[in-house]
Amino acid sequence: MGTKILIAEDEPFIVESLSFLLSREGHTIASVSDGASVLDELKKQRPDLLILDIMLPTTSGFEILRRIREQPEFAALPVLALTAKGQEADRRRMVDLGVDQFMTKPFSNQELVSSVAALLESAKAPQQ
Amino acid sequence: MQRLPIGQRIRNKRKELGLTQSALAQQAGISVSYLNLIEHNKRMIGGALLNRLAAQLGVETSHLSDAEDGPLVQQTLEMARSQSLTGLDEKNVVRLVAENPDWARALLALHRKYQDTAEHALSLSDRLSQDPMLHQLSHAILTQTTSIRSFAEILGQFDDLNAGDQRRFSGIVASQSGQLGSSVRAMIELLGSAMDAPEPLSPEKEVDDFIIAHRNYFDELESATRSLRDEMGVSGKLVATAIAGRLSDRHGIDVRFTDGDTREPSENVFWLDTRAPEASIRFRMAKRLIEIEAADLLDRLVQDSRLTNDDARSLGRRALASYGAGALLFPYQEFLKAAEHHRYDIDRLSAAFGSSFEQTAHRLVTLQRPKAPGVPFAFLRTDPAGNISKPFSIPGLPMPRFGGACPLWAIYAAFSEPGRIVSQLATTQLGERYLFIARTVDKRTAGFGEAPTRYSVMIGCDSLYMDRLVYGDRYATGQASLETPVGFSCRLCERHDCRQRAQPSLLAGDSRQNNRKAPVTGAAAE
Repeated sequence: MGTKILIAEDEPFIVESLSFLLSREGHTIASVSDGASVLDELKKQRPDLLILDIMLPTTSGFEILRRIREQPEFAALPVLALTAKGQEADRRRMVDLGVDQFMTKPFSNQELVSSVAALLESAKAPQQ
Repeated sequence: MQRLPIGQRIRNKRKELGLTQSALAQQAGISVSYLNLIEHNKRMIGGALLNRLAAQLGVETSHLSDAEDGPLVQQTLEMARSQSLTGLDEKNVVRLVAENPDWARALLALHRKYQDTAEHALSLSDRLSQDPMLHQLSHAILTQTTSIRSFAEILGQFDDLNAGDQRRFSGIVASQSGQLGSSVRAMIELLGSAMDAPEPLSPEKEVDDFIIAHRNYFDELESATRSLRDEMGVSGKLVATAIAGRLSDRHGIDVRFTDGDTREPSENVFWLDTRAPEASIRFRMAKRLIEIEAADLLDRLVQDSRLTNDDARSLGRRALASYGAGALLFPYQEFLKAAEHHRYDIDRLSAAFGSSFEQTAHRLVTLQRPKAPGVPFAFLRTDPAGNISKPFSIPGLPMPRFGGACPLWAIYAAFSEPGRIVSQLATTQLGERYLFIARTVDKRTAGFGEAPTRYSVMIGCDSLYMDRLVYGDRYATGQASLETPVGFSCRLCERHDCRQRAQPSLLAGDSRQNNRKAPVTGAAAE
């Protein structure tokens, strides 16, 4: 059974390269470019994993994360955050908000593909 | 022993005149071996003997012993040590000052210039890190680099790409590289314009920077005050009495009160203002004790490149002593535990620890021990005219360092309800929400008809921590009408319809609503 990944990112070229890479891994890809619509899109698409750009227009990635984690149905959704801020302090804030993994731009394709695989793998493992 | 170049100068002058040690010793009426010791700086001399030697050598006494020599030797040594210049012999420094004091002065002047330059570079980088334009440009550059890297890797990695994909991906790499070039040029221009010399920072701002750089947490002061408190063996509010006792028993300092302004300054008397609130009095005594007992530690901590002159260092020392006083009166673990227990209720914490609103708020901000952190808070204080002090930022919530904040912030509303806590759920344009808690504080009880010395103090945290704070409860229902739309400062705010706007925004039009990055690349392409 294929897995579905939602990419929340406003840079069309980044969406395109991610979509290309991840569909070659056998995943189904959906994308959303506007921060305010991420939650609606999550409800519609029901993905197995969310890739979230922290610097989205109109709504900050931090705020989106908060809203996602407030919904019980998405409390356990694996989230991979794309960030341009490598600072420790921001990371702590993201961890507090429930980010499972970070990827700092510019990342390598290999790094990204293996992080996605690892996140999906650990999400599949039976919960303790 | 302070090293002075007297011996060296005597030896130099004697040799210049072609005198032997025994000849000079005889003329001066001392033994040869004593003169030898003097010449090798093994004996310090002064007074009559120095005058006699100077007379025999035909020079002024001041030629042998200049009042500036001691500090000059000391400063040259310090300079060498601060630059970790190893292998420089202390004796050589003395010789340098003895023979060529002007060279030593020139070296020191050069070093000061070097320090100023380093400082300038530091403040430039500081200014740039807060520049919104630079922030947008670096974001554009990172995005373009990410696309280029990703497509280049795809092109290299997959052999089975069809011709259409190959063309498209190469096209993207080419176009994004073009954009990257433009962004970089725009950044170079921006950096060029930023190189205009900034105004020198005031000592106050230097101290703010120093505290921010340490993230407002000083572990060494925490453990020093912990030991001091253990040694005094008291807990709770009784610590104030113990502090007064220790000042008097150990340091011979009597605490006395005065109502008027005439106070005889004395080393043995510590004057306190009867009109200062109880909490301030306790705090000042604690601060005085820290200044005495942790003197060496304070001196060491202010040896920091961000504090560039004596004024800044002495101000920094006072700020650290205040930190220490807070740590002594409100010990880390107990205070953190109580804060979590009372859900950060500042009034209840103040009652439990006998502290003022500002002291409690300030101590809350410092609860950032890496292994046991409390809720991360930003801090800001302003006077009624909007003069800002003690700004402390946290990620996502920058506090202004110059000028004013957003006029809609609770810190200003608090002035219309003196003495009452004003809370606010502030929403930024990007939808981030922060909880602000503000209150005015009066520094001194004013008599009838007198104006109080009043400030407004505010702490703020990410709304993520709202359920840990008693102040968050009223917003728990999520009612949108309870939220206040705010900005950070007019210059960086795009709420063009704001009725409190005081200055035009530096950010372009409504671009952010459509495509935040378009104006950046667009401007860069021009």
